Amino acid sequence: MIGLVDGNNFFVSCERVFDRRLVGRPVAVLSNNDGCCVSRSNEFKALGIPMGTPYFQLKDREAAGELFFRSSNYELYGDMSRRIISILREEAVEVEQYSIDEAFIFPPTTAAADYAAYGRRLRAKIFRWVGIPCGIGFAPTKTLAKIANHIGKKKPDGVFLMPDDPTDILAALPVQEVWGVGRRLPAKLHAVRIITAQQLRDADDDTIRSVGGVTLLRTAMELRGIPCHEERDYDADPDSISCSRSFGEPVTSAEALAESLAAYTAQAAAKLRRHGLLAAGCNIYAQVFASCGGGDFLGRTVVFPAPTDATNEMLRAIREEVDALYVAGTRYRKTGIVFFGLEKPGTAHQMDLFEDSRSPFPVPRSPSRLYAAVDALNARYGKGKVFSAAQGLGAKSWHMKRQKLSRRPTTRWDELMTVR
Amino acid sequence: MPGKPKISGSVVAGFPSPAEQYLEPPLDLNELLVKRPAATFFVRVQGDSMIGAGINDGDLLVVDRSLRPASGDVIIASVDGDFTVKTYRRDKDGVRLEPANPNYPVIRLNPGQELDYFGKVTACIHRFAGKK
Repeated sequence: MIGLVDGNNFFVSCERVFDRRLVGRPVAVLSNNDGCCVSRSNEFKALGIPMGTPYFQLKDREAAGELFFRSSNYELYGDMSRRIISILREEAVEVEQYSIDEAFIFPPTTAAADYAAYGRRLRAKIFRWVGIPCGIGFAPTKTLAKIANHIGKKKPDGVFLMPDDPTDILAALPVQEVWGVGRRLPAKLHAVRIITAQQLRDADDDTIRSVGGVTLLRTAMELRGIPCHEERDYDADPDSISCSRSFGEPVTSAEALAESLAAYTAQAAAKLRRHGLLAAGCNIYAQVFASCGGGDFLGRTVVFPAPTDATNEMLRAIREEVDALYVAGTRYRKTGIVFFGLEKPGTAHQMDLFEDSRSPFPVPRSPSRLYAAVDALNARYGKGKVFSAAQGLGAKSWHMKRQKLSRRPTTRWDELMTVR
Repeated sequence: MPGKPKISGSVVAGFPSPAEQYLEPPLDLNELLVKRPAATFFVRVQGDSMIGAGINDGDLLVVDRSLRPASGDVIIASVDGDFTVKTYRRDKDGVRLEPANPNYPVIRLNPGQELDYFGKVTACIHRFAGKK
């Protein structure tokens, strides 16, 4: 049995833990550079304002006190995400983080007697410990668990166990809402009279393969209850880009730890570029062998100076945090990276004054020739003689615009929550 | 190369340190103060409403959300949207939040009003030099 746990309206829920005035109010969190709504409270959804609505269209209603907004506080969301994942690691046999607010879990055998009860306990624990309401769905495959999760989220107890025969549920589900079907396939599927998830499940393999190849066939198999999604096989879905591996042998040196994370960052960045996306930041993590039990989970959240797909910029951004993950004498089991804040280049971004107008940021800059020259100069005249303006002088023009940023009470000593 | 002995590991000259078998990791304040990292948050005190309980302006509080409050515990809760640190009391008269300073009023919850509990204060860190 596989469970999918996800935080309800995750970004908004994180904001509400530390700002109780936002509870019960229509709140949305904005995308990178305060572009559009990416996370909405239930009250906000009830007003009929869709996901992705540009912020500038809603400013008047904000001024009138009708709506409330926050910038994406990735430092906070990343930390809250790590807390949830560490709880899941205590309570489940295996956890695969899928995105900043979603993780697949493999429940312990003790949960088999009553998965729903296990889910309710887990959900209550996460809510009490971290303050985030979650939805949990259980099913034999990841694709079905996704569907179960969507149903669970709408139930009062937040948990749903897929019935042995899910035909009725699949018959009521439009095929485009199935995980992995994507945005282009539905038209082709409709042409061969596959409208619902049930019809996709029951279609013959040749038809499925002719429409969507082996990937779609895998999705259909998953709907039939046959697990086909291997670990970390998330390439089909650009909502999440991540890379992680368990080590063949425990890693004990700082160098090896840093090397592994650099390698996975490079791999994940390549994946990001394949999808033509930029990331606002990442969570890097390491799982360690403990003397007994499941093992500890260490993680760090890094927000890039600007959304990027350049490996070298990412490596620079994570370097210090990678060092912070290393504890001498620790045996590491696994490391990984998950990107968040994914966006297409050129969306919701305002040109800055000092940008090169021929290559408007954030179109990926090619590092090769420029950095070769910079490195050569620094090698000759001393470290730091030539540096990118992004590090100092023009720093602010490169940073993400986050004018409605809340405090970062879990990662910054000078931004702690205050109590009277 | 067959027949040639392989030597691995380091050769230690002299006597082994008599302390070696007693080596332990150094004391770690996190281990002492943060039992459950996933549920632990740090907050900063503003004002003197709890001065009688040894909680001063600028102190750092360690808060564990996983612990349920018992009467007499120092807790963090939200009252009218603001977070406050007070002593939690629960008896036949209902729930109230008590300051440890006579200049502040006791906060009483109306019957049926639910406490917006954040977490239990498990430690107070008071630094003598500077507030940060």
